[in-house]
Amino acid sequence: MLSLKRDKKEEEEGGGNPFNNLEKSSVLQEARTFNETPINPRKCGHILTKVLYIINQGESIGTTEATEAFFAMTKLFQSKDPILRRLVYLGIKEMSKIAQDVIIVTSSLMKDMTGKEDQFRGPAIRALCSVTDHSMLQSIERYMKQAIVDKVPGVSSAALVSALHLGKGSQEVIKRWVNEAQEAVNSDNVMVQFHALGLLYYIRKTDKLAVNKLVSKFSKHTLKSPYAYCLLIRIASKLIEEEDAGSDSPMFDFIESCLRHKSEMVIYEAAHAIVQLKNTTAKDLAPAVSVLQLFCSSPKPTLRFAAVRTLNKVAIKHPAAVTACNLDLENLITDVNRSIATLAITTLLKTGNESSVDRLMKQISSFMSEISDEFKIVVVQAIRSLCAKFPRKHNVLMTFLAQMLRDEGGFDYKKEIVDCIIVTIEENPEAKEAGLAHLCEFIEDCEHTVLATKILHLLGKEGPRTPTPSKYIRFIYNRVILENAAVRAAAVSAIAKFGAHCEDLLESCIVLLERCQLDTDDEVRDRATFYVNVLKQQQKALSSAFILNGLQVSVVGLERALHQYTLEPNEAEFDMKSVPLATQPLAEQKVRDVPGEAPSARPAQDKVAASRQDVYQEQLAQVPELANLGTLFKSSQPMEVTESETEYYIQCVKHTFSNYIVFQFDCTNTLNDQLLEKVTVEMEPAEGFEVTKYIACQSLPYNKPGTTYTLVRLPAEPTQVTGTFACTLKFLVKDCDPQTGEPDDEGYDDEYVLEDVEVTVADHVQRVMKPNFAASWEEVGPENELEDTYSLSTMSTIEEAIKNIVQYMGLQPCERSDKVPEGKSSHTLYLGGVFRGGHDALVRAKLALDSSGVTMQLTVRSTDPNVSEVLATAVA
Amino acid sequence: MGFFDSLAQWLGVKKKEVNVLVVGLDNSGKSTIINHFKPPELKNHEIVPTVGFNVEKFKSKALAFTALDMSGQGRYRNLWEQYYKECDGIIFVIDSSDKLRMVVAKDELDLLLQHAELKDKRIPILFFANKMDARESVSSVKCSHLMGLETLRDKPWHICASNALTGDGLHEGVDWLTDQLKDVLEKKSRKK
Ligand SMILES: Nc1nc2c(ncn2[C@@H]2O[C@H](COP(=O)(O)OP(=O)(O)O)[C@@H](O)[C@H]2O)c(=O)[nH]1
Ligand SMILES: [Mg+2]
Repeated sequence: MLSLKRDKKEEEEGGGNPFNNLEKSSVLQEARTFNETPINPRKCGHILTKVLYIINQGESIGTTEATEAFFAMTKLFQSKDPILRRLVYLGIKEMSKIAQDVIIVTSSLMKDMTGKEDQFRGPAIRALCSVTDHSMLQSIERYMKQAIVDKVPGVSSAALVSALHLGKGSQEVIKRWVNEAQEAVNSDNVMVQFHALGLLYYIRKTDKLAVNKLVSKFSKHTLKSPYAYCLLIRIASKLIEEEDAGSDSPMFDFIESCLRHKSEMVIYEAAHAIVQLKNTTAKDLAPAVSVLQLFCSSPKPTLRFAAVRTLNKVAIKHPAAVTACNLDLENLITDVNRSIATLAITTLLKTGNESSVDRLMKQISSFMSEISDEFKIVVVQAIRSLCAKFPRKHNVLMTFLAQMLRDEGGFDYKKEIVDCIIVTIEENPEAKEAGLAHLCEFIEDCEHTVLATKILHLLGKEGPRTPTPSKYIRFIYNRVILENAAVRAAAVSAIAKFGAHCEDLLESCIVLLERCQLDTDDEVRDRATFYVNVLKQQQKALSSAFILNGLQVSVVGLERALHQYTLEPNEAEFDMKSVPLATQPLAEQKVRDVPGEAPSARPAQDKVAASRQDVYQEQLAQVPELANLGTLFKSSQPMEVTESETEYYIQCVKHTFSNYIVFQFDCTNTLNDQLLEKVTVEMEPAEGFEVTKYIACQSLPYNKPGTTYTLVRLPAEPTQVTGTFACTLKFLVKDCDPQTGEPDDEGYDDEYVLEDVEVTVADHVQRVMKPNFAASWEEVGPENELEDTYSLSTMSTIEEAIKNIVQYMGLQPCERSDKVPEGKSSHTLYLGGVFRGGHDALVRAKLALDSSGVTMQLTVRSTDPNVSEVLATAVA
Repeated sequence: MGFFDSLAQWLGVKKKEVNVLVVGLDNSGKSTIINHFKPPELKNHEIVPTVGFNVEKFKSKALAFTALDMSGQGRYRNLWEQYYKECDGIIFVIDSSDKLRMVVAKDELDLLLQHAELKDKRIPILFFANKMDARESVSSVKCSHLMGLETLRDKPWHICASNALTGDGLHEGVDWLTDQLKDVLEKKSRKK
């Protein structure tokens, strides 16, 4: 915290940091001094420190330069100066990943790790393990084993931790060090015991039974080290989670018993573990919460902080349990440590009732300026959940957010506020105008391009559909005059949307866009020209397809298709339909629902979800038999076709192409005494479908996943799209020695019945978000419209009906129409998507709830009559 | 380097330090040779194969040697090159009882002599025809023949037979190298 409070000016100027203005090339030049004889330890130590500094500043050093510096540094082994030698170890560790031939120092380090100087031995081990590659591990193995059981704690710890790092490359070797690790667990030193337990766990991590034994063994024979206890608690809670167990698990008893340990660290860890568990009742939580409550009034700020932070995290999941601590939390509101105070208030906000919101918000605004961005973000997240919980309070909350937007703050903080406003606008129509107004004000003075473009996009989407669209135009056009190219381009797109949606603004928008055609930036000019031309056509369908709803293809897929097209010159026009669609990133929506969860995980998750299909496409193209099926239209989520924890574990993914379906079976053989060969999944096709090929997995050894494919041709009749397939796993078994994995020469045929696989309508449909559904509805037109009324008697609520319809049809709910406002008995659901073959598919379902269940009037529009038929009959 | 430093060195107040590179095929006896020069309390009784390099220091009459004992295993030999630039002298160890690999040693030597960093330098090279005690060993004359040393003209060189286990021949060789290096160093400091 101290460093955060440091004067800003001072931070900018570097505040007397002697290394502040180092230049990489001159430092590396200086490193040549290492070659001089005799060595001057002081001078060389200083230079090496500089090298370390620039590496740690994130400066990238080329391989050649790094190698040269590394070899020069090896010369420093001549000097016996202890400070210099220890710097050399650090240098080796830092450069081991960027320089080449780093194994050159192996012998020198081995000498130090077995030498007489204890202070060299630990660091030498760490350095040695960082230069050692897989093939060399054998040669240092003997020394590592000795070091693990060394009586000097620093040496033993270094060896244990290094072994953990080595284990990431090759589990096999470190598995043989288990005896030494066992011995080290008995050490009297708290760190050694902790590290040894860590290594033991790492070695056994994949073997659940062994981990179980590990925990029950060490939970009885008392460990000395509180660190080891904490680790054991973490292992135990992971086990509980993996087994989906509750408080009846013996692991839980162990964790619970740790609440009475004498070390505060252990007590906290146990309480933290218990409140984080999934399957817990109020009774299970009680002792953990009372421990945290006790900590809340501890004189130690660290304990208070830990306790309130933990309570804050679980407040949403277990509001009742946390409410029990309300009195203690109230006392913390005025804590001198502002971080503790912030957490206390935001916790109270999460658990409190509507009436306390105003009081708490006032309290918190009194010291907003004193807390760091990190905690301001915590406040924003609390407000976000409040907005969802008390929609009526949006006025107070929005005003507060707007105030926060105006204050100083870094990018992450501002982004959090903007996201919060955007979510609130989307969830709560009443908050929309106020929210948009705040955002308009914010972009007038916003230094973050990413946020400005995001907001402009939102204004383009929401603005045209407000009662007075014209008032936003001025804010948007100001951006065109004042901002950088990226923001100007976003502003141009936003203006075009107003023109496309609001007839009375069309004229003016065209005038504005024509002015943008004189912009200095290519992208801005191109966009403006494009939009002006589309708008001048004055055709609803064109505007919908190219401005309001836009392209919905996968960018990676489009790039690949265009590249392919340019490689093979062709008379025919480029076919947009051959480009795979953008898959709706499901992860993003999920993440939104749990504010306050580790935000760092978000971007990575989005990315994976968005490109999952691209990855499949690439993988399938690698299989020669499947390479010529065309563009992959859709890949389903994997589903299990075996019960879990049986002999073979198999998941199926369905890949839909225009005329075929590929069933991909990812198989794992969980028997260590069997090797399977020629593995296929035989399928009994449903009517009209035809199995055309089996692509076997040639070898499936124990615990190494393998894949087999079954290729099925779709029925010629276009309306016949669904069916059930009986599946059997067929293979050749070779028994083998569980220890060595050595198989017998002879094998025998065997089979194993799997669960049926269903092909549903959803497998032929790709979700597409239509940001402006009404425009798309007009664009497709009534030509192939089908309409029918159904009574869904098994559904008792509209929400339930919506969930089922969405799942069954596999279409994307648009305009947030999958959310039913509270207390309404009728609702309209809008679904958008594309059917296999590239046909647009739109569905409007008017739902009404009455005493006999849910009645639905279903209207389907599509560019293809068969598609309308398939979808209209899907629900029946 | 300041004026007084170089003066002090030239006057021989401090023992001059030189870098030598000890190279040769694996198992030729490099580590054993270096070990021999170490004071008894630091001697390694068990010599394990060198991986990469080892720094050792030893003194002879007028010079302090820093020897880089390089690993001789095939996959590490390209690593020698990294140290050519900064070395003052080379000790090349030959296993005189390994007639079979003498040609490999010769190839290595040729590569070394042609290396850009060494080609145009007059650095002294000392050859040890090591393991002279072994029954099938060849004489130092035969050895220099097999290695083609007679064609080596632009660098001072010397060969002597040695037994690294007993130390026979080692001092003779190092004395020669010391004289050579003294000359070189003197010339260097006079130039400054
Ligand atoms: N008989 C004999 N054996 C030697 C002599 N020098 C070294 N050796 C042995 O040769 C083996 C390899 O020596 P080592 O110094 O490790 O060779 P390096 O790979 O060049 O470092 C060891 O077993 C030594 O004991 C020698 O002069 N005579
Ligand atoms: Mg050696």
